Amino acid sequence: MFFKRFIIKKFWIVVAATIVGALAGGLAGSGTEAPASKNITIKARQYAYDPPKIIANKGDTLLLELASLDVVHGFYLEGYDVDAEIHPGINTFKIRKPSEGYNWETADVITVILTRRGKFRYRCSHTCGTMHPFMQGELIVKPNTPYHAGLGGIAGFAIGLFMMMGISSKELKVVTAGK
Amino acid sequence: MRIQIKSKKPDSDEQVLTNIWKKQEPRIDLLKKFPILDKFVKSRYFQNLLILPSLIVFYMILIAGFFGTPVGNKNIAIVFTWILWWFLLIAILVPFASRIWCAMCPLPFFGELAQRLTFFRVREGKTGPLKNKMFGLNRKWPRFLKNIWVQNISFLALCTFSAVLVTRPFVTAMVLGSMIILGILFALVYRLRVFCSYICPVSGFLSLYSMTSTLEVRSRSTDECKKCKSKSCITGNEKGYGCPWFIYMGKHERNNYCGLCMECVKSCPNDNIALNLRPFASETKIKSFDEAWKGFIMLGLAMAYSIILLGTNGQIKDWANALETGMWTGFLKYSGILWSSSLLLLPAVFLGFSFLSKLISGNKEVSVKEVFLNYSYVIVPLGLLSWIAFSLPLIFVNGSYIISVISDPMGWGWDLFGTAGFHWQPLLPEYLVYIQIILLTTGLYFAMTRAKTISERLFNTRKQAIRSLIPISLFSLIVCFAFLRFFVG
Ligand code: SF4
Ligand code: SF4
Ligand code: SF4
Ligand SMILES: [Cu+2]
Repeated sequence: MFFKRFIIKKFWIVVAATIVGALAGGLAGSGTEAPASKNITIKARQYAYDPPKIIANKGDTLLLELASLDVVHGFYLEGYDVDAEIHPGINTFKIRKPSEGYNWETADVITVILTRRGKFRYRCSHTCGTMHPFMQGELIVKPNTPYHAGLGGIAGFAIGLFMMMGISSKELKVVTAGK
Repeated sequence: MRIQIKSKKPDSDEQVLTNIWKKQEPRIDLLKKFPILDKFVKSRYFQNLLILPSLIVFYMILIAGFFGTPVGNKNIAIVFTWILWWFLLIAILVPFASRIWCAMCPLPFFGELAQRLTFFRVREGKTGPLKNKMFGLNRKWPRFLKNIWVQNISFLALCTFSAVLVTRPFVTAMVLGSMIILGILFALVYRLRVFCSYICPVSGFLSLYSMTSTLEVRSRSTDECKKCKSKSCITGNEKGYGCPWFIYMGKHERNNYCGLCMECVKSCPNDNIALNLRPFASETKIKSFDEAWKGFIMLGLAMAYSIILLGTNGQIKDWANALETGMWTGFLKYSGILWSSSLLLLPAVFLGFSFLSKLISGNKEVSVKEVFLNYSYVIVPLGLLSWIAFSLPLIFVNGSYIISVISDPMGWGWDLFGTAGFHWQPLLPEYLVYIQIILLTTGLYFAMTRAKTISERLFNTRKQAIRSLIPISLFSLIVCFAFLRFFVG
């Protein structure tokens, strides 16, 4: 019943417009830049990271040093299999790969090769105070294809849906205006 | 599958309009389809059976909040309330089961017990228009407060302190504890569930978003209600209490203020109450400005929280968290922005789009006010889906706290089930953005298609109706883009 209604209402227009929009958006937002290597020191404090946002390009290599300005913090970078524990006052920190369990090692720099595009959050993984669950930063790996494709796809969806509603709408039986 | 199509018998102008408002959609009467369910909801044990588990958890939350660790993510008061309960409520109960939470909510339990003075029986008698014996003063609620403005303001006020509320077990327990006390006081002074209908801060968004829900309690035939002499659904009788939410089933067409307590199913002598399954977002009628503003407040809050709680800016977090940082000037700035954007800015923007909508439609008779009020419904599905998208990271990223806190509810180092040591482990965090994109698109779909339904009752001709949709669809698209920017960009 569900699908039948969609077919009757020419839902394929919406599907096509969404796909075209997503492709167009994804392509439009995909400039490429030569890979570079960047040294970044991330300072954690209650309840934010500095820098709060890292913007880099796909193919870049990030060399991350971590420091804490107050208490023990964590650094869990989603999508890149990194989790660290940062203690204040020392230059080294504990690091592990979440996919490999809890084998903590000591390190003074994390090397992250940016192979995946999109927005990835780094979150505090060590309870550090009241707002701890909301302590996070963002790594944006350009081109942020999910975002651009999302924008294009949703715009296409809206246009397609509007066309579909226009085509399938019937003349109204006038009852009372403006009530 | 039995499908019940609501009959369309236009007799008066008003009736014709109600039939257009009620979009003619298929319904499945669950009570007819599942006799066991029918038996269950007609049982006098129904509501208490639902309340019992939540009452137990509620007490655990109070005890843990007052005596347990102050560290939020290690205390069941925070983890169960703001991660588990919140997610279940906004993502599952409200969209699929309307206000079923209000049937199992522990807050009005003692107040209702005080009024009824019995757990399971129905006391016959006379209390004002009711045919039940009720304890208490049973005062009427003042007419000018019969709207959800009190809830709008109390909810916004509570949410201004949310950074404190959702991180401090003690504060959460204090707020919940005082709500239960208020609930009792109101039940002793005022009639029935006045507390729920007009005071409870949670109630406002439950009422607004329950309009989208796939579940409804309705009269099987309103003609039967017209003929009915007793009107037991609202007055009560020996089988059930009069509707605690003051609903007369013969005119009941919106989910907003029905607490799904199933008393009317028990009391109706004609077995005329259905529990229907229906398509998502079947009701599209915002009745008054208090409801419209509730929508703007919810939308504003979803945006604010996306920035404050899910964002990266430490400064704003410090402001919202003034209790710890002492940055009260910042706190004032932040609350000023929050209040003015949800009470003034968003409605003003929408007013602009409503004005454009009228202008482009070419219709001269319809007022901007009508356009504004009717189309303000689009922020209901948009807001709900944005809230679900916002709440998704709460459960996916921080859901593992549920596993550890179950073994150590007070944060005292217990290990009841051997899971206390379970390390914080986000679930597929890097894929959340894709689910969020789908959720936002779903919200846009329902906003636009329901706007079309609304346009057909607002305007005279197809052309006017469709033209008027252009600015409204654009507004919905912009809202979607804003959330996309927060979540993915
Ligand atoms: S309105 Fe509030 S207090 Fe009343 S049942 Fe619903 S959630 Fe509970
Ligand atoms: S008691 Fe039953 S038939 Fe009578 S008005 Fe109420 S729902 Fe209708
Ligand atoms: S209409 Fe009233 S009595 Fe019936 S389920 Fe809803 S709240 Fe309960
Ligand atoms: Cu931290």
